[in-house]
Formats: sequence, C-alpha cells, structure tokens
Amino acid sequence: MRRGLMGWNAEELPRAALDARIARLRVAMQRNGFDAALFYTNLVQPSAVTWLTGFTPYWSDGMLLLPREGAPVFATALSKRVANWIRTTDTLSEIVNTPKPGVAVGKRIAEAGCKRVGVLEYDALPAGLYDEIAGAARHVELADLGSVFADTRRVIDDAERGLIGRADALARGALDQIDADKATDAGEVAGLVEKQARLGGAEEAYIAIAADLDSDLRMIRVAGTLPLAGRFAVRASVAYKGAWVRRTRSFAHDEAARRAYADADAWLARVASSIEPGQSLAAQLQARLKELPDAMLRNATAESCIGSYPLTAAIGAPSAGSFLVLAVELSLNGLPWLGAAPAFIDAR
Amino acid sequence: MGGPMGRPKWGGPSEETHVTVFTDRRARLLQEMAGEGIDVLLLYGNAWQNDYLRYATDFGILEGQALAVVREDGITLYLDHALEADRATLECSGIEVVHAPDLLGEVDKALSRLSNRRIGTAPARLIPRRLAARAKDLNLGDRTAFLDRLLMGKLASEVDAIRRACKVADEGYAVFRDAARPGRADYELIAEAEAFFRSKGVDDNFQIIGVGGPEVRGMAPPSGKRLKAGDMVTTELTPCVDGYYAQICRTLVVGEPNAEQRQAFALYREAMEAGIAAVRDGVTAADIARAENDIFRREGLGIYVTDEYTRVRGHGVGLFADTKPHILEDVTTRIDEGMTLIVHPNTYHPVVGYLVLGDVVAVTKTGCEVFTETARELFSMPA
Repeated sequence: MRRGLMGWNAEELPRAALDARIARLRVAMQRNGFDAALFYTNLVQPSAVTWLTGFTPYWSDGMLLLPREGAPVFATALSKRVANWIRTTDTLSEIVNTPKPGVAVGKRIAEAGCKRVGVLEYDALPAGLYDEIAGAARHVELADLGSVFADTRRVIDDAERGLIGRADALARGALDQIDADKATDAGEVAGLVEKQARLGGAEEAYIAIAADLDSDLRMIRVAGTLPLAGRFAVRASVAYKGAWVRRTRSFAHDEAARRAYADADAWLARVASSIEPGQSLAAQLQARLKELPDAMLRNATAESCIGSYPLTAAIGAPSAGSFLVLAVELSLNGLPWLGAAPAFIDAR
Repeated sequence: MGGPMGRPKWGGPSEETHVTVFTDRRARLLQEMAGEGIDVLLLYGNAWQNDYLRYATDFGILEGQALAVVREDGITLYLDHALEADRATLECSGIEVVHAPDLLGEVDKALSRLSNRRIGTAPARLIPRRLAARAKDLNLGDRTAFLDRLLMGKLASEVDAIRRACKVADEGYAVFRDAARPGRADYELIAEAEAFFRSKGVDDNFQIIGVGGPEVRGMAPPSGKRLKAGDMVTTELTPCVDGYYAQICRTLVVGEPNAEQRQAFALYREAMEAGIAAVRDGVTAADIARAENDIFRREGLGIYVTDEYTRVRGHGVGLFADTKPHILEDVTTRIDEGMTLIVHPNTYHPVVGYLVLGDVVAVTKTGCEVFTETARELFSMPA
C-alpha cells in the first residue's frame, strides 16, 4: 500500500504537459474511431491514469473516463471525504465519488451518445466494473485500447523525464548507503535502503536482495534477519510521483570481485546511456560486451511503461524517445553479477 | 537456501509458526471446499486486495497480478510479472509457481482442462472480465462469501499471528512517535517506521497520516507537511507480519496538548472503550458501532459519526488491512468467537480536528481480549 510522499507539484508536472498528453491521445483515439476511453486504476495498475492526470490511488480503485472533449471524469468508490485528497493530486478531472464507479462512467458514455469506447487492458478489466459499465451502456461497443494507448504513451516528455530522473536519484542515493564491508545482514540493508529512499521523498520503495550470489541469483523481499554472503545484490524499485525506476547493484567483500563489479557497473552505465533506437537490444548488449573482457552475458531483460503497470516486460527493439529499465546478468570470469539501470533512448 | 518446507530462511519473528499457520489454513480450506461441494477455486490477488489469494498460497504479491487455481491435489499460482514469479518460487512452499506473461490465456487453458468441475471464484468482482465472461462454459460460480467466512473466522494459529503482529504494531508506533519532531516532514516519520518494520520481518504496511489542527478532516498519504508546535499528528499504522495485518490508531500532539484536545481525546477514549465493551460472541457489527456512536450523540456530536465525516467505526483485521466485517450501524454481520477486529471511533472533531484512537481485539465467548498494549493516551512530543 502506498504510504510515501504523494502530491502534485506544478513545477514538476505542469498542467500544460498533462493537457498535451491528453491532446495527443485524443488525436489517436479519433484516428482509431474511439468516441471515449476508459482507464482502470488501482495501486498496482496506476500508470495510465497517473500519466493522464497525475493521480495515483494509495488505496482502493477507480475508473477514468476520457471523453473526446472536456474534462476527464474520475469515478471512484473512495469516499467523498477523500475527494479533497484526490484533488491535491489530480487538478483537472471531475471527481465522482460513488459506490458504483462503473455505473457512473457507463451512464456518462451512454448519455454522450458514444458508439465505440476504448478500454485499456479490456480483457483484464475487473468483472464487477465491467458488469456495471455494460449494464449502464448497453448499446456502446467496448474494445481494447491497448496498442493505441501504448503508441501514444511510449514517447516520454520533459516532465516525465524529470520525474524519472528524480526517482533514479533516490534509488542511487539509497543504494549508495550500502557499505559492503560492514553489511552483514540483508534485513538491515533492506531497511537502510528503503529508509533512505523514503526520507528523500519516494512514493514507494520495494527492496529485494539476493543474499548469496554464488548460490542463487533470485531475489526475495527480505524482512527480518538473513545473513549476507561475500557477494550479494540489492535491487531498489523506487517511485517518485508516479514515475518508477529500478536499480540493481552487486556488492562483494573481496577486493578482486569488487574491482570486477566496479568495471561492470561502469560498463552498464555506458551501455544504458547509449542504446540505439530501432535495433535489437540483445544484439547491442552482445556487441558491447567486448568492452568488458572475460564477461559472458547470461540474461538481459528490459522493462518499460506503456500501459497500466509502472514497469512491465518490453517487447521488440527500443524506440526513439522512450524510456526503459535494463537489467543484465553477467558472468565476470566466473563471478556472478547483477545490474539494472534506467535508460533514456534518445534519437541518434 | 530453503527453510522448512523449502521456504527461505528469512529469519522473521516466527519462521516455524508461520509455516504452521499456513499449513493449518490450507488444510481448513481444502476441508471446507469439500464440505461446500467446491471442486476447484479460482482466486485473484494483487498488492491491494491480496487476502483471498494469500489464504491459499501464502504469497504477498507486490507487482503485477496473480491468479491461483486451488485443487484438492495441489495449488498452482500464476503470476504475470517475472520478478514476482522468481520471488514466489523462493518464498512459497508446496505450491506450483508459473510465470505467465499471458496470465489470462494461461489460466483460461488451465480451467478449460478442468471441465465438469465446480469452480468457485473469489473475489468475484475482481476476476478478469475475459475469464468471467466464460462463466457458463467453465462452470464458474461466485464463492466470495465462502472465502469471506474463512477470512473472518480465524483459526487459533491465525489469532496468534495477529497477536504477534499487534506487538510489532505497538513497537512501530513507538518508533513513529519518537520520530515526530518539529520541522520534520510527515513522510520522514513514515520512513523511520518502515526501516524499523523491515528489521522486524514486516513485509508490508498500510499507513496514513494527518498533521495539523481543526483544518484536518481525515488522514491520507503524507503530502510533505512539516510538523510544528501545537499540531496533532494522527496515524493509522498497519504492519503485516506473516501475512496478517494488525492496526493501531493513535494521536499525538507536538508540544503540550491544550484543554480542548484533552477533552476531545477523553471522549474518543470513552467511545472506543464503549465499543470494546460491546464486543462478544453473538452481537452484531452494528451493536459495536452503536455503542461507540452513542457516546458522540450524547455530547451532541452525532453528525460527526455519519459518513459525511467518517468511514467506519472499526473493521476486521487479518490477511487484508481493512477486512470484513465493517463496524457500522447498518452492518448486521454476526460477531463470532475467533474474529479479530479493530475498534476505532476515528472521526472529525469540530474543535480540534480529525482525531484517532483504535485497539485490536480478539472476540471470545464472553467478551474480547485486547491485543494492543500501547497506552490509550493523547501522546505529547517535545515541541
């Protein structure tokens, strides 16, 4: 459940940026024959609504209706008393507090005479909400909006770049707190990293640790006491005002591994800052591996934000103007190493 | 890397007892399913609403969504997020974990193989539309009420887990209170509590906060407000231990409380104690709410116990931070021995602002046992 800093700040997220996003999406909606669009949101699937309005729910769920014209309508089962708080993070939507958000938006689209309405991630829409919408808008065709939204959403603007940059600074600052020589307990490390991120104003921080890289590269969300081995890795997934990044770093007690890890960190930073758009990420990583002698690529994944999830597996070559999180697993002359870093894909 | 039953040794407060609770719960679920004539359960979960899924799988999901298929001969947990699937293979014991990027497609296929079986779903309102649309073909039926009954009526080992969680909540509130100093931002207080919780085996926490005076109408996530002398700081702190959430609601004042704040607090304390006194096997949720609200009505403050100013007068605690039954005057759910509740008359006070106080109790035949040990006082922190 969200319990970090939440709020809207005009300098970080200007109203003009939100207006521009909505305008872009409306053009795409019109081009694809959608009279309106619907977006479900909860704290696990907040990102589309956050991108359009700045609002992220800390609890419960809701539905955003984006008509072709006029203000968006946010319908939620959160009580009327919470409307004031919603207003502090969403300054542009009409807020409707109702026990049946689906009925509220269904009536709106029916009354507006909509014929075809796009629903982001239509198949996954909660059945209860779907029944409410369908019952209130019997003659409206509902269809998936996924690719239309993703194509519009993929290119990030300056405001989002700034928020991602702030989230990344929080993640890096939090991981900088780890002193590999002194770190002996994974629970303490997790607490330290999370505390630092939250003290800096993180909206959310999920810390995961692989406590013994030599035996298992998988990460758990540690709480309590768990001894750290000589080589371990820590992943900080950090959100700031709805923008998410992941950073993973590997740590070692022995000097030789530490040097190898520092080289790998520097390599990842170089790679993340120079990814070519339109070309296979796997091929680019393989080609860049020659900069790191004796390294072998074990695995690589990319995540991006193109739907309701903050970060989800990215498919296909990275596109110009987009953002992704790159996670890499290497063997450094036999030493296991994990790293992850955000990357802005600039046009070349 | 495996602890008992393959679970990693994460060294939380209760590794062995944790396994016992889960084993007890799973055995009960299968037994009750057989008794109800349910062949298979399809359970949905995400980081917001995870209690139904966690009951059967013991997995505390953070990112993405999950569906679990529960059969007599085994449980399969489908997760659409790769990192979460990785984590589940380490953290969950005795269940099959499947990373399913196409979550709905995979589960649809799995359910299709279970033809002619009676499949119950819970919570039905959150089951993805595509699967719900095949209810007739797949023989799906809404069994949310069945799961709700199990979630509300706790086993002895679950009650013990909540007792442990309450102890951590008490300790967490002390950390939160000590962090409250003039000039600090509201989110910094929560950061201190979170660091403490991670060291205590707490993997989640629900917490909202209010800072200020009569202008404060409720609690919300922190907004960056900085504490100053005279502010009331309200919080509802809800750590999750071994999957079970326990809550504590307390109010503190930065500096010495004034006469109005003391007087208002005395009323809330009286209301909470009236509510707790009403708790016993056989009463209804409405009886408890009425006992709390009558104290406010007696003082001419009845308007402040309506939904204009407050949400609930308490609720269940367990695998969800805000589980059933909700303590309201129009909720007629019977309160049974073995239920665990928080009684909290939290609401707006017209003179001093939003004020909170709440304790967790376990229902017994003749009354209740109070688990919260933090003093029922209006705390004062140096200004």
